[in-house]
Amino acid sequence: MTVLHALTLACYGAGVLVTGFSAVAALLLRDALDRLHLLTLATTLGVPLVGLGLVLKNGFSMTTAMVVFICVLLTLSGPVLTAATGKVAAQRHGLVDQESPQ
Amino acid sequence: MNPWLLGTIVLVAAGLGPALWIGSRGEPTDRLVGLELGGVAVVLAMVSFSQAVDQPSYLIVPLVLALVSVAGILVYTRLLAPRR
Repeated sequence: MTVLHALTLACYGAGVLVTGFSAVAALLLRDALDRLHLLTLATTLGVPLVGLGLVLKNGFSMTTAMVVFICVLLTLSGPVLTAATGKVAAQRHGLVDQESPQ
Repeated sequence: MNPWLLGTIVLVAAGLGPALWIGSRGEPTDRLVGLELGGVAVVLAMVSFSQAVDQPSYLIVPLVLALVSVAGILVYTRLLAPRR
């Protein structure tokens, strides 16, 4: 097993475990706003780690380009979706004003 | 069984399973969080499966799912916002 192979498996395994842990931990929490923290963990840490593992595995190729595009899309859209969902949840719980931009 | 297939199984079991549970119970915003978690888990599982079976052409499915998932969740946040 080369160092590159070990690094590939370490990044991929860590990403899978972070994503799985986030989903299982979200199941244990009760509030939507608390669960959003774990969703952010999956999108900003789990997805890039899985993508990095696959990039190291495939090298410089079209497959890598597709994987990078998918992971960048998920990583960039994750905080946007989290903010939008958090705003709706806060409005529905009466924590912020409906006219508030936050 | 290669590590990519094992990762796919873990993502489906530990990622999609809880997400389905969260997405099928509780308040609408709770369900929306479950939908978002499920989307991330399924996209990663599909990417991993593509690597596991060594078929890069399968990557078009998670790519489309990621794009559609973002748009769909934004629509849901709009529809779930309280009426003025």
